[in-house]
Amino acid sequence: MKLRGLILGLCAALTLAGCEREPATTGGPAVIRRLTEAQYRTAIADIFGSQIVVASHFDPILRTDGLLAVGAGRTAITGSGFERYHALARSIATQVVAPENREVLLECAPANAATADDACAKTILKRVGRLLYRRPLSSEEIDGSAAIARDATATRGDFHAGLAYALQSMMESPDFLFIVENPEGDTLDAFSRATRLSFLLWNATPDDVLLTAAEKGDLDQKSGLTKQVDRMIASPRFKDGVRAFFSDMLSLDDVANMQKDTVLYPAFTLVAATDSREQVLRTLTDLLVTKNGDYREIFTTRSTFISTALGLVYRLPVTNPGGWSKIDFAADDPRAGIQTQLSFAGLHSHPGKSSPTLRGKAIRELLMCQKVPDPPGTVSFDQFNDPNSPNRTARQRLAAHATDSACAGCHKLTDPIGLAMETFDGAGQLRETENGERIDTTGELNGKPYANAADLGRLLHDDPAATSCVVNRAYSYAVGRTIVSGEKALIDALEKAFAADKYRFPALIRRIALSDAFLRVSAAPPTTPGREAKL
Amino acid sequence: MIKSAALGLALAALVSASAPMAASGKKQTLGYVVTKWDTAIYESRFAEECPEGLVTGNDELWWRGMSRADKDKFTNKGLAQPVDRKNYAMYRGPGGKDVCWNPEIVKDPPLRIVKGKTAYGFNLDGDDNGNGTAKSCKHEKFTSPEGVKGVDNQMYRILGCHYGWRRNGVLDNFDDEERRNSGRGVVLIEVTGVDDPQNSAAVEVRFYKAIDPFNLDAAGKILPYGSYRVDMNGGKPRYAVPIKGKIENGVLTTEATDFSVPFYGNSTYAEVRLRDAKFNLDLKLADGHAKGLLGGYYDFDKWWEYMMKIEFLVATGDWSCPALYEASKRLADGYPDKDGNCTAISSAFKVEAIPAYIIHQNQTADAR
Repeated sequence: MKLRGLILGLCAALTLAGCEREPATTGGPAVIRRLTEAQYRTAIADIFGSQIVVASHFDPILRTDGLLAVGAGRTAITGSGFERYHALARSIATQVVAPENREVLLECAPANAATADDACAKTILKRVGRLLYRRPLSSEEIDGSAAIARDATATRGDFHAGLAYALQSMMESPDFLFIVENPEGDTLDAFSRATRLSFLLWNATPDDVLLTAAEKGDLDQKSGLTKQVDRMIASPRFKDGVRAFFSDMLSLDDVANMQKDTVLYPAFTLVAATDSREQVLRTLTDLLVTKNGDYREIFTTRSTFISTALGLVYRLPVTNPGGWSKIDFAADDPRAGIQTQLSFAGLHSHPGKSSPTLRGKAIRELLMCQKVPDPPGTVSFDQFNDPNSPNRTARQRLAAHATDSACAGCHKLTDPIGLAMETFDGAGQLRETENGERIDTTGELNGKPYANAADLGRLLHDDPAATSCVVNRAYSYAVGRTIVSGEKALIDALEKAFAADKYRFPALIRRIALSDAFLRVSAAPPTTPGREAKL
Repeated sequence: MIKSAALGLALAALVSASAPMAASGKKQTLGYVVTKWDTAIYESRFAEECPEGLVTGNDELWWRGMSRADKDKFTNKGLAQPVDRKNYAMYRGPGGKDVCWNPEIVKDPPLRIVKGKTAYGFNLDGDDNGNGTAKSCKHEKFTSPEGVKGVDNQMYRILGCHYGWRRNGVLDNFDDEERRNSGRGVVLIEVTGVDDPQNSAAVEVRFYKAIDPFNLDAAGKILPYGSYRVDMNGGKPRYAVPIKGKIENGVLTTEATDFSVPFYGNSTYAEVRLRDAKFNLDLKLADGHAKGLLGGYYDFDKWWEYMMKIEFLVATGDWSCPALYEASKRLADGYPDKDGNCTAISSAFKVEAIPAYIIHQNQTADAR
């Protein structure tokens, strides 16, 4: 048994599935990505402590090929956006050097607080700069920052005020605001490797241990890389990485814009909307990380967590008012899978009613990575929206709407899925009837019949498109760009490996992080998208 | 109610939830949170109910009782402001004593009481004529709005002609609003052993005090299906006296039982201590809402304790402590002491409730 375990371990370290060698890949271009708001906030908290207030909002990132992580590589900083970064950097630097923080956050104090102290300033700037830039600073960079501190100290007559200017300039630098990947031949240099790993696994800037490993060349060796990957996956912070990935994959940033008619749904509040995002992330991390469960169970799981605000929306008991309560639904309950939660069923609905079409589209696009065309601009929704329509249920209204041949094609893709979820109203609340008529949730998906939303979850569980989708998204998220055609064989291998791992998500992320492909870059210049694979 | 809304939930150990309509085996449990609690004041033709008019308030009695010199003293710079006036009036007893805390130190004109014949409430002593029984003193009976004779509600008789307790008065309305906004005094009603919410031959009812505030929507309205933890004391729920009852055609009725109900209102915590209390609750209103009447003999001392605590509202509610005290002592109709003086007042309260989850946490096995 020991020998078999050793072989399996060796295989896992060297290959993607079984003992087949990892397919050769071309790699894609190195990318320059703008830090997301979450990454910025985490970086500041990690480097300076959570007591530092990051009071700002950030320019949005355009979702590209299903991921903000990809869009972050195709974005710039606007003038007004930079003004906010500037003000924010000033605010953070001021807080860092404030009397109440400096003793904890700064490792030295000047001999005279009113005059410059190059040695002390360089010590601080060298350490902080390494964490902010995710690499050691060159001596020129340290000298340059120290000069800013020195000049500002002379003007202000205050060492800490001068130091704040230097820290501010670092936080305004592209080296901090952008994740800059530096190729080294056909792979990434050690610090770019550390950065990719850290943002994949923790959605955070590399910690001192990882940067030290990079400095020592450990990340150039499979054993050293494996050690770091396993350390980071074993850390509680791995959940942060998983949460960040699924926030991106499920478009949970849109939850902030979820609006409902509070006359129709009085229990829906902004708190409930915010909590719905947390609900799905808790559900996912509990299933995929804590329990190391089968990814496919995200469509069928009957375990979830609810807050007080969500208990009111779902009309469920909250056993821990003020906190989060675990709920396990019975086997015959229609509430199963993340697609029946408010962050999905409610988010992909209209403000005042459900939408089988939006829900079906979201399942296909977000969970199965299939593209559903947008409706033509000339389409008429009159029949569907007619308040005096004799058609009481969405199924009946959609049937009338779909008589328009221009609409029918796409609705065939979306509606059968969405109609299964009609027992959840526009706010994700369970219902049995619509306008007094019992809701019919039966249908077919890919020729297979379903009775209700829970049944649909079972079909999604068994649909290869769903597992293929998460593999594609995870890899694209990991490398921060669209998958290129030269990586198609790798994706196939990862999908097989995912199945061999019984669809364990941490195992998938580990395989990606340890693959040669993850670190490989093509010769194309940074930020230039490569040929996109048709996957 | 949405029948399937709470079906099939498995909850953590040591935690149980009374659901608005949760199936637990064959027996179900219904949970409610009280949203409105008002003294049951029957109001129709005022001239018939209160032919003498509204009661004379403390301010007026204070003014009437002052010498010309005192009137000059208090008004030589214009009439005193309401707050000051209230305080002057409250301390109108000999030596400046508080007439609410010492209601017998002055003799006010007799309280104007309800002379009408109709009132909400229950027949608490089982007698239709008001001649008095072993548990009641001789008193005048009412007839209910539905025509049921023998109704006991002496609390209505003494409070019914007060501006502060009538429909457009401030006391009960303010109480409801205050509970909603402050989250204090949230009362829960749990009905266990329900076979069918329409008809169940034997159920048990318990009142609890919640430790969680109301769940409100954006407009400040109390939302149904909120979760409320039961206030515990020594591992057991406070209040929670089991009350036997039944449900017929969707209406819950209970047997006469002695129990207390927590109360908060007018910035004051109190305890409504009732004897021979009866409760009915219509469970079949729209959206699972419920509405009913709770009545019983309200312990006089407990009630007057509350009245003394809210003396700061004596001008707002426009009553006279001495007159009210004298009348309530005289008209108390329940549980005579060894001297034949009754120690409780028949009372009734209108109760409205909405579905809620009642959360029992860390409850010891013998708590129920």
